[in-house]
Amino acid sequence: MSVRWRTWVLVGLGAATVIAAIYFPYLRKRVKTAAKIEQPSEEQARRELTTPTAASADPLVKARMFWASPEDETALAAVNLDLALSPEPVPRAKQVLNTLLAGPVDSDLRTLPADAALLAFYLLPDGTAIADFSEALATSTPSGIQSEQLAVDSIARTLEANVPQVRRLKILIHGQEVETLAGHLDLTQMFVVNTKATQPGPLVGGALPKATSASAGLAAGSAAGKKAQR
Amino acid sequence: MVVLDPAHGGTDPGARGAQGIRESDLVLDLTMQVRRALEADGFQVIQTRSGNENPSFDDRSATANAQYGAVFVTLHISSSGLPGTARVYVMPEAAAKTAVNTGGILSWDAAQAPYVTLSRKFGDAVQGLLAQKFKGSPSNAQVASVRQLRTTAAPAIAVELSSVSVQDRSELDRMMPGVAEAIARGLASFRPSYVLPSDAGAKP
Repeated sequence: MSVRWRTWVLVGLGAATVIAAIYFPYLRKRVKTAAKIEQPSEEQARRELTTPTAASADPLVKARMFWASPEDETALAAVNLDLALSPEPVPRAKQVLNTLLAGPVDSDLRTLPADAALLAFYLLPDGTAIADFSEALATSTPSGIQSEQLAVDSIARTLEANVPQVRRLKILIHGQEVETLAGHLDLTQMFVVNTKATQPGPLVGGALPKATSASAGLAAGSAAGKKAQR
Repeated sequence: MVVLDPAHGGTDPGARGAQGIRESDLVLDLTMQVRRALEADGFQVIQTRSGNENPSFDDRSATANAQYGAVFVTLHISSSGLPGTARVYVMPEAAAKTAVNTGGILSWDAAQAPYVTLSRKFGDAVQGLLAQKFKGSPSNAQVASVRQLRTTAAPAIAVELSSVSVQDRSELDRMMPGVAEAIARGLASFRPSYVLPSDAGAKP
């Protein structure tokens, strides 16, 4: 390599160093600014996705939420709220379930874990609802028949009180059918939501793969679950 | 024949209290006390686990389903509820209403269906005695879709004590003899009404 070429290369490298030295503080400033813009967590992003955007345009109506009773934290009590609810069943169900998840004023009376989120909600024409919750519903609900039952009942009764189209409920965790909520309560089955459509009694129910009719209030749970997983 | 099921075990500790109380350990002690009370009354007892293992729900049900004329009791300690109370849970009646007659072949997934009424009778008998011993407990068996009960082809109940949140496990230890006695006496009073749904005359 000639002396002239070597000089040019050195000059070029020198110029690049000077440009980099000038640009570096500017770049650092931009990185800092970008870092300040808080990135929403995966759960938050999902929450926003599942919260209907037109909520504010919906009329205020009386809604009934079921949280733990102040007198007995192992039982449910209805709380009446004025909520902007859509007349359409699916956005309406999402709105009431998101309100249920957000919890009551007294956080001790929550029935669902604070970090749980509703990921998706589907309603089939026969009244079968499929509610897909984040992993936290399974991992943060206290393990036990009573505590798991309270969580599921609060979901089922809140849907029953506010979304009359829902007759049965299938709960998925992160898009999957799971065997139990937190080790006890059976999530492979359907829960009866609208008791008026079936017999009076507690809001629980077991569906079998070959349930004969929808009027029995129970449907083929596994089939609906599998459909919803797709 | 009575099949006792200490819930959880192995890698699954079940409910855990702040004081380090683990449901899986306590139910094993409770099972031993229930077993002694039942054997004293002349019942034969087998367990779904006797050490720190964690059989699957189906394996536990299989232990009961392999016995003719058995009853099944799964034992739990909750993470909620008024400490010092105990509840019996049975499967909802709705499960029985959807039972499908498949020409005498019982679906494993719905094995409990023909036994729901018997389970309730057994559960009410035990719960009534628990209510007398443990103030604040309900007077009748509660209904819950407990996974373990669904695949069990026998009168089956879940018994849950409150709770792992107690300060000292001795509070739960003190409940155990009373729970054991309630189960043994409840089973003795239920026994005459235990007629197998498909085969009359069988007794536990």
